[in-house]
Amino acid sequence: MLASPIRTARQALSKRPYICPSCLRKAKLQPLASAQPFVARSYRALHTSAGPPSNDAPFRKLLKDAVKRKKKEERATAASSSSSSSPQQTPKNQDLRLEKWELTVGIEVHAELNTARKLFSGAATSTGEAPNAHVALFDIAFPGSQPHFQIETLVPALRAALALNCRIQQKSSFDRKHYFYQDQPAGYQITQYYEPFAKDGHITLYPHDFPSGVSPDRGPIIIGIKQVQMEQDTAKTVHQPPSTHLLDFNRVSHPLIEIITLPQIHNPTVAAACVRKMQTILKTVNAVTAGMEMGGLRADVNVSVRQRNTQAADTGHTYHGVTGLGQRTEIKNLASIKAVEDAIIAERDRQIDILESGGVVEGETRGWTLGSKTTKRLRGKEGEIDYRYMPDPDITPVIVGKEMVAHLRNTLPMLSDDAITMLVDVQIYGLTPKDASTLLLLDDGDRLDYYLDVVQYLRSALSDYPETLARVGKTAGNWVLMELGALFKNEEWSDSRVSSDQLASIIEYLLRKQITGRTAKLLLAMKFEGDARPVGQIITDGDMMLKPLSHHEYTDMAQKLIEENPNIVKDIVEKHRHQKVKWFVGQMMSNSAEGTVEPGTAEMVLRNLLELPPMQSK
Amino acid sequence: MASKRALIHAQSFFSPLQTSNASISLLPRNTYRFKSQSSTQWPEQVKGDDLKDLLTRSTWSVESLLPSKTEARDAPEISSEHLHHLLRLSALPLPENQEEEAKMLQNLSAQLHFVGKMQQVDTTDIKPLRAIRDETSEAEKEHTITMDMLKDALAREKTIGKHYKRIQRNTDAVDTKDVENWDVLGSAERKVGRFFVVESERPQE
Repeated sequence: MLASPIRTARQALSKRPYICPSCLRKAKLQPLASAQPFVARSYRALHTSAGPPSNDAPFRKLLKDAVKRKKKEERATAASSSSSSSPQQTPKNQDLRLEKWELTVGIEVHAELNTARKLFSGAATSTGEAPNAHVALFDIAFPGSQPHFQIETLVPALRAALALNCRIQQKSSFDRKHYFYQDQPAGYQITQYYEPFAKDGHITLYPHDFPSGVSPDRGPIIIGIKQVQMEQDTAKTVHQPPSTHLLDFNRVSHPLIEIITLPQIHNPTVAAACVRKMQTILKTVNAVTAGMEMGGLRADVNVSVRQRNTQAADTGHTYHGVTGLGQRTEIKNLASIKAVEDAIIAERDRQIDILESGGVVEGETRGWTLGSKTTKRLRGKEGEIDYRYMPDPDITPVIVGKEMVAHLRNTLPMLSDDAITMLVDVQIYGLTPKDASTLLLLDDGDRLDYYLDVVQYLRSALSDYPETLARVGKTAGNWVLMELGALFKNEEWSDSRVSSDQLASIIEYLLRKQITGRTAKLLLAMKFEGDARPVGQIITDGDMMLKPLSHHEYTDMAQKLIEENPNIVKDIVEKHRHQKVKWFVGQMMSNSAEGTVEPGTAEMVLRNLLELPPMQSK
Repeated sequence: MASKRALIHAQSFFSPLQTSNASISLLPRNTYRFKSQSSTQWPEQVKGDDLKDLLTRSTWSVESLLPSKTEARDAPEISSEHLHHLLRLSALPLPENQEEEAKMLQNLSAQLHFVGKMQQVDTTDIKPLRAIRDETSEAEKEHTITMDMLKDALAREKTIGKHYKRIQRNTDAVDTKDVENWDVLGSAERKVGRFFVVESERPQE
C-alpha cells in the first residue's frame, strides 16, 4: 500500500536536477504523511510564522469575513431558538469557573526587523515588489552558497532588546532548526536556540497601556521576557487550491526577532495589552517597519489552565522554569491584538470545559480564525527534539562590543512610557491616556511632534493670558486629534497641510474668545483646503471676529423664533423635551452673521424665555 | 579510547613537519578536544619514506566502534513506529517492505551503538566543537562588532522630529548588484510568471 507513492517519489527525485530537494521531497511525500496520521510535521512552517494564517489575505478582508461569519451564526442561533444554550455561558457561571480555574499564558512575538538587507545575504529586504526580485544564492539554499551574517541587522535587534530591558549577551550564536516545508528552502531555519543575543528582560504594563485606562490588577504588571532571538523569516506562499503553491522568496531570510515572555500572564486582556505594548515599543525605537495590521508582527500564545489553590507544584508541567502549570496548547499565527485576546478566551474556556467534564487537555498546536468562537486543532503534540537543533557550523558566533551596545543604549529614542507619562501629566500636557497613546502611534510619531509644536506656539502666544495656559495641552490635543484628525480621515497625514503655527493661531483666537468654535472649525477647513492667507487675514477679510450681540439683541432674536415655531415650543414646554432647545440655538446661529452668536449665551436666553430650568453645568 | 590516541598521533605526525598547511598549523591547541593522557606513548620522529609508509598504513579504524556480528548491541530498541517518525522528519522514503525495514532498524541500531561508544568519552568541562575556527581571545577580539563596523549602517539613519526626536532609516534602495545579479528562476523546473511552483498537500490529521 505504501509502496507506490514511494516509488513515485523516488522516480521523480532521480529525474530532477538539484533545485530544492527538500521541497520536492516534501511535496512528493505528502500523501504518505496523510496515510500515517502519526506525524504531520509538514506544517511546521507556521511555527516560524510568516504571514497571516494560511493565506495572505489583507487584514481588512479577514475582518470582513469575520463579520459575515458572525452574522451567519447569529441568524443560525436565532433560527434554532435558545433552548440549547449551554449552561456554562451565563456570566455568573463563567465567573464561578474563573474563580476555580486560573489561566496562564506565555507569548511569543515575531517581528520583522527594519533593515536594508536580509539576515545572511546582501540581498535587499522588500515589501510588495515583483516576486523573487530580491533573492541571493544563499536565500534559496543554492548548493555551495554560504551564509554571510549582515552585522547591520544587529542595530534594530539590539535597540529592541534594550527597550525591552534585556541583558545583551556579549556572545551569541546561530542554530539550525530542522523541518521540511516549501517556504523554507534549506530544510532548516536559522535561529538562536542555545545562545540568544538577549535574555532576562521585562515589560511593564501601566494603567495607560489598557484601553480602559485601568489595569486589571490595579497598578503596574511586570511580565518577564525570557529571551529575544534573531532568526530568518520564511518565503511567501500563494496557495492555489487544491495543491499548488506559488513561492516568492523575497521575504525568505528577512531578519526577524522572536520575543519570548515567561508564562506570567493570567488574563486575556493583559496578554493583549502586552502584545500591543511590544508593538509600540518596537515602533518607537524604529526596530520594526510595520505593525500587526500590516503583517509586520505576529504572535503565538501558549495557553494552559490549572485549578487554583492546589499544591500541584511537583505534578504539573514546567514551562520556562515556571512550575505547577496545566498542560498547555499553542495557538499560532495570531495577526491582530483582538485575535490574541479572543483566541486566549476561547482556548481557556475550551480547556476548562474539557477539565470540568473529566477530560484531559492534549498538548497540541491550534489555530484561530478571526471571529470564530473556538480554536481549531492543527496538529498533534510536538517535541522540541523533533526539530533536531544543532549549532550552525557555517556561522561564526556574534560578538558585540560593549562600546557599541552602550552607544545604542544612550541614543535610544524616548520610550513610549516616558512620552506618555509626559503627555498625561496635568502640569505639562494633561492629555487622557487614550489620547496620549493615540498621538504617539499615529503617523509614526509625526502627529505627536506636530502636536508638541502647536503647544509650543500656543504657550508663547498666550504667555500674557495665563488663565488659559492650563488648558492649552488638552485643547490642542483635541484639535490635533479630533478636528484635524477628521479632515485627514481619508488622506495621508502631512504636517504642512495646516502648518502648526496656523493651527496654533486658530486655537489662540478661540481660547481668547475672539472667535466662536464654529468659526474656528471653518477656519481649519479653509486652511486644510489650501487657503494660503494667514489665519488672522482670513478672519479680517471674512469679518469673522466674534461681535457679541447685546442681551437685548439675543432676546429679540429668540422671541421671534419662539413665536414662529409654536409646535416646537409645545414639545419643549408640555412634553418636557428640553433637548429641542438646541434646535433654536442652531437656528439663531445660522440666522445671524458668522461669529456673532455664542451658543451658550443663546441657550441661556432661550431657557429664560421658555421658563425652563437653567442649563446643567458640565 | 582509540579515538583519543588517533588524534594525538595525528598531532605528533604533523608537528615536526613545519608544514605549510596553514589551516592545520595555526589551529590552537584547544581545538584538539580530547584530553591527552599521561601514559600515552609518543612515537619517535619519522621522516622521508618512513613517513610515507606510515601514512599508507591504517593504525585505527572507526570499525572498532561498531558492533561486530556476534557482539550484542549496546543500543536501545527502536520501534517500527519510531523509525517511520524519524524517516519522515528527515524527508526520507519509508521502507518498502518488512525486509527493508528490518535492515534499516539494524543499521540504525549499529549507528546508535557507535553513538553510545562516542558518549563514553569523558567530555566534562569541554565545550562542544561547532566548527574548526580560531577561538582564541585574540580572534574573538578581532571579530568583535564595534561602532566602527556599524558606522555605515548608522550613517544611513537620521534623526527626525523637532520636539519628539526619532530615528529613521533611509529606505532608499541599497546596492545589491553583487548578490542579486543572477537568474533566480533559471533553474526552476516549474514556474508561473515570476513564481516558483510546488505541488504539495497538507496532511489530514
